[in-house]
Amino acid sequence: MSKASALEYADRSEKSRRRKSLRKQIAMHKWLYLFIAPCIVWLLVFCYYPMYGATLAFKDYDYGLGITGSPWVGWAHFQEFFSSPDFWIVTKNTLIISGLKILFGFPAPIILALLLNEVRNRRFKRVVQTVSYLPNFVSWVVVVTLMTIIFSPYGGIVNTIRKANGLESIFYMGQKGSFYPITILSDIWKNAGWNSIIYLSALSGIDSQLYESALLDGAGKWQCTWHVTLPGIRETIGIMFIFAVGGILNAGFDQILLLQQPANMEISEILDTYVLKTGLNYGRFEYATAIGLFKSLFSLFMMVAANKFTKRYMEVGIW
Amino acid sequence: MFFKQTKGQKAFQVFNYCLLGLFGFATFYPFWYVLIASLNTGRDFARGGVYLFPREFTWENYALAFNDSRIFASLSISVFKTIIGVVTGVFFTMLMAYALSVKTLPGRNFFTFFWYFTTVFGGGMIPYYMLLRDLGLTKSFWLYITPAVYNFFNFLLMRTYFNNIPNELRESAELDGANDFAILFRIYLPLSMPVIATIALFVGVGQWNDWFTGAYYQSNQDLIPAATLLQKLLNEATASSNVKVGQESSALVMQSYTSQSLQMAFVMILTMPIVVVYPFLQKYYVRGVMIGAVKG
Repeated sequence: MSKASALEYADRSEKSRRRKSLRKQIAMHKWLYLFIAPCIVWLLVFCYYPMYGATLAFKDYDYGLGITGSPWVGWAHFQEFFSSPDFWIVTKNTLIISGLKILFGFPAPIILALLLNEVRNRRFKRVVQTVSYLPNFVSWVVVVTLMTIIFSPYGGIVNTIRKANGLESIFYMGQKGSFYPITILSDIWKNAGWNSIIYLSALSGIDSQLYESALLDGAGKWQCTWHVTLPGIRETIGIMFIFAVGGILNAGFDQILLLQQPANMEISEILDTYVLKTGLNYGRFEYATAIGLFKSLFSLFMMVAANKFTKRYMEVGIW
Repeated sequence: MFFKQTKGQKAFQVFNYCLLGLFGFATFYPFWYVLIASLNTGRDFARGGVYLFPREFTWENYALAFNDSRIFASLSISVFKTIIGVVTGVFFTMLMAYALSVKTLPGRNFFTFFWYFTTVFGGGMIPYYMLLRDLGLTKSFWLYITPAVYNFFNFLLMRTYFNNIPNELRESAELDGANDFAILFRIYLPLSMPVIATIALFVGVGQWNDWFTGAYYQSNQDLIPAATLLQKLLNEATASSNVKVGQESSALVMQSYTSQSLQMAFVMILTMPIVVVYPFLQKYYVRGVMIGAVKG
């Protein structure tokens, strides 16, 4: 009998020994239900009620009638959204930004972890790690303000250097052409360090005997990286990939919201910011809810699909 | 493990140190740059060329920021919401983590799933906003606290930690007649300081940094936190820069020097608490993430 099933067996026999009626069990744990109760109420109010509220997507909202009383309109809001030109622009922007982030931002922490793993000077490693985690703890609003100052046309370092070389100042933050580089680079700057932790912990879990035997077989450094290190963190990479794909329609909501400027709006308007504007600024609650619901369902679908994919090709999954 | 260093490997090591050093510098320098800029007079800074240390040192930008009544009020809101958010967040997370770490509790898996499901699917921003509005939270300070009390990730972290506390401790306390409340606060709490510190910090940093709730859900302008105010100042400043770039009329430019200096001081006031607290608590955070990564 394997260890796990033996434990299970012991557990079960113990359970049957002390089997009591369910009511008795519940009475025995009354304190615990008291501890759980606020959370259940909270979940019902703040998580499940908005799910019910999402039925608004199929209704014509009337403030006086409330969500329940408002008349049904079927798929009208979805049809309106899918046939509007905004649908293509917004979806395309979302996918481009997410795609770029996955392409450049996803490998960044893996590369960083691999490089850090090669560092032998512990002190140096610790300093680099400490510094690289820091941006994760500041708000996006701080990061965007820092960038605004650094790229400022009034004395910002980038434009000062440009001027010193005889070039004219550029207002980077308000210019369409620099939107993608700024978005991707700031995303890496803020998140790569922190995200590397998870890979570093996976790297430290690789059995050092594997390296020793690879060396005995005459493997070089690169072969070790390719045949031992990368397969060793494959599972972690797979799981992170599923989450990245599941969040593909998020595209980094608050970062984008802060980087939006009139000049870059046609490439920076993503699904979430569009929902926010149509819903809160223009008060079109039902229409915005429909778009939000479309986004939620699509994200769930993408996550399931990514899970299937990694299960098949990388033998890892979250379900 | 031991590798013989070939020439190629030595070159790689040098390259690696340089690259990581550069990365570390690129991460740190923006903070340093804005710090020295905030300690420089705005007019002098705008001439350019301030790179490593302030050239015309001054505290006046900070004096300006603290004397601005909006900034001062928003900072008090941020401090309050951070403190109250941490206390309530840790307390309620502890109750939940303790209850669901008791393996004999009927319905334990159901409760976990009931919560987990809300992390993969939600009703979306608009129904959520309407709920907050109908509850009257959009005009209240509790907007920052009540909806943010629980967080599934923090709960998992704490439950994992509680799972590792030997069950015998609980059972023997039960035999001595202690109820669960007493067990949690007399036995579990003193044993769980590292994970409590981690969660307190996650919640605290989240509260301190959150600008979105204040910007989009709060309708009472007297209750917006500092991060939201910074976003508003940033918006105003960029909107005016959009018009002004190129046509450097002196009055307008003068005005943007001051607003830029104010912003620099304000952004540093917002960042400093985190930079100061962060190195001391780093080990807790990192450990916390690893626990979550392994068992989550």
